Amino acid sequence: MKKIKRYCRLYKVLVSQFLKTIMQSKVDFFMGLLGFFFTQIMGIVFLYLVFEQIPSLQGWTLDQLIFIYGFAQIPRGIDHLLTDNIWLVSYWMVIDGDFDRYMLRPMNLFFQVICEKLQPDALGELVIGMILVVISLSKGILAVDACHILLFIVSMIAGAVIYTSVKLFFASIAFWVKQSGPFLQVAYELTNFAKYPTEIYSRAVRFIITWVIPFAFVAYLPASYFLMKRDALSTIGVECVIAALLWIVSYSLFMYGTTKYESAGN
Amino acid sequence: MGKFIRTYLPFTSNSLKQNMAYKGAFYLNMFCSIFAAFINYYLWMAIYGSAESGVLAGLSKNEMVIYVFMSYIVSSVAMVSMSRAVGKDIQKGDIAMTLIKPMDYRMSLIAQSLGTMIYRFILPGLFVWIGLEIYRVTGLGLPAVRISNILLFLLSTFLSFMIYVLFEFCFGMIAFFTTYIFGLEMAKTAVLSFLTGQLIPLAFFPEAVQRLFDFLPFSSMLYAPVMIYLGKYTGSTLMFVLARQAVWVVLLYLLGSLIWRQVVKRLIVLGG
Repeated sequence: MKKIKRYCRLYKVLVSQFLKTIMQSKVDFFMGLLGFFFTQIMGIVFLYLVFEQIPSLQGWTLDQLIFIYGFAQIPRGIDHLLTDNIWLVSYWMVIDGDFDRYMLRPMNLFFQVICEKLQPDALGELVIGMILVVISLSKGILAVDACHILLFIVSMIAGAVIYTSVKLFFASIAFWVKQSGPFLQVAYELTNFAKYPTEIYSRAVRFIITWVIPFAFVAYLPASYFLMKRDALSTIGVECVIAALLWIVSYSLFMYGTTKYESAGN
Repeated sequence: MGKFIRTYLPFTSNSLKQNMAYKGAFYLNMFCSIFAAFINYYLWMAIYGSAESGVLAGLSKNEMVIYVFMSYIVSSVAMVSMSRAVGKDIQKGDIAMTLIKPMDYRMSLIAQSLGTMIYRFILPGLFVWIGLEIYRVTGLGLPAVRISNILLFLLSTFLSFMIYVLFEFCFGMIAFFTTYIFGLEMAKTAVLSFLTGQLIPLAFFPEAVQRLFDFLPFSSMLYAPVMIYLGKYTGSTLMFVLARQAVWVVLLYLLGSLIWRQVVKRLIVLGG
């Protein structure tokens, strides 16, 4: 308990330091936000234009697709906001030997990595995601009761854990190959498949995004529960199990990797 | 003319060599963008599968397959980004060095981009193109593309390249005013992927919006060459589209010169 309290206090200190740097450069903050915001908006306009031509996409209506799209942005945004520093580990920290400083402190290594940076750009994704979910709520296509709201929060957290785990897994490879950023990039790119119902893809693509890098579980599957298409156990339940398994694998690999870490000799 | 080529050709060949040297990053980037093209492909196939008629906004399903992959080729060949390089030069003060040399900064950048364009035309451009044509004849059962269309397509793609690069130069000038260009770059990429027709053919937009696009340079960056390749433009329309591209090259060139003259006046380099 004492330990948790200490970490909470440390997190607060480190984050407040980071917030100060943001306040220093407000324009940059705004630009970054704008960038991510625009990227997502374009995806929505795309759907609108397409649905001018067709009544439904393989049984999915426009409203449902917009919900899936928005739903997918929230866990992505949460992960992006909190753990953006993992990218730096995979690209530069190991190869430059900057990881040394984490090894020297008496704190959990993963905690140190993520608390060093908050990525305010992610608010662009979070804002868009929430707006779209609220719009979907007003359309009345979602089931709303205490159980669904609770599972919604659970699903957001589990989704973010899946994102973080995949990132951590590919970043950890850097401990052996020194730089794993490009691999992480490719894996992360796969999330773009998850914005749409997986049924539209060929069997091979569907297999990859469900079972190899399970991004189908962060958006499409849980979203179909809230759209009253499937039951909780086969969607949110499976999502949580996958999230937990992935986290254990990634975290162990990361911890094992740090024992293999050799600093750059300079 | 001979002197001009002798001055700027080394920039082109250098950037070509650079592209060949740092292959790893390039391949992965290419891999990512091919991913995007395939997402697009599946999405469109699902859309056509759900459509009541076989033709959406004037494009049949088979034409859409060609549209998706040709727009991928044009975007990777013609859209050579240089605003980041401009931004870096300005922020680090390296721009001072280019100002004292007896050459045009913009021309040197264009020459560099040309090297990248040539490289990308061969890889992935040519490979995807050949693959697509084979699929078109054997898979889709369509006749192969006409030689005249190929030539017009190449001409139009080159004009697209010029329009895009000149536009990028103007965009890069923003770095004179702000340091964090990353967010703007992202916004630009997102907006451009839309306005150029990379994400969705411009024919899908409402009539009024399309008319507005006629007055913007973006449709000339990607939509024009792809539609020419598909043989959608003929006779006077074709001439008009090509002429419009040429006009945009001139206009953006003049605009770039104007901005450049203004910003150089207020340039301050410390140290450097």
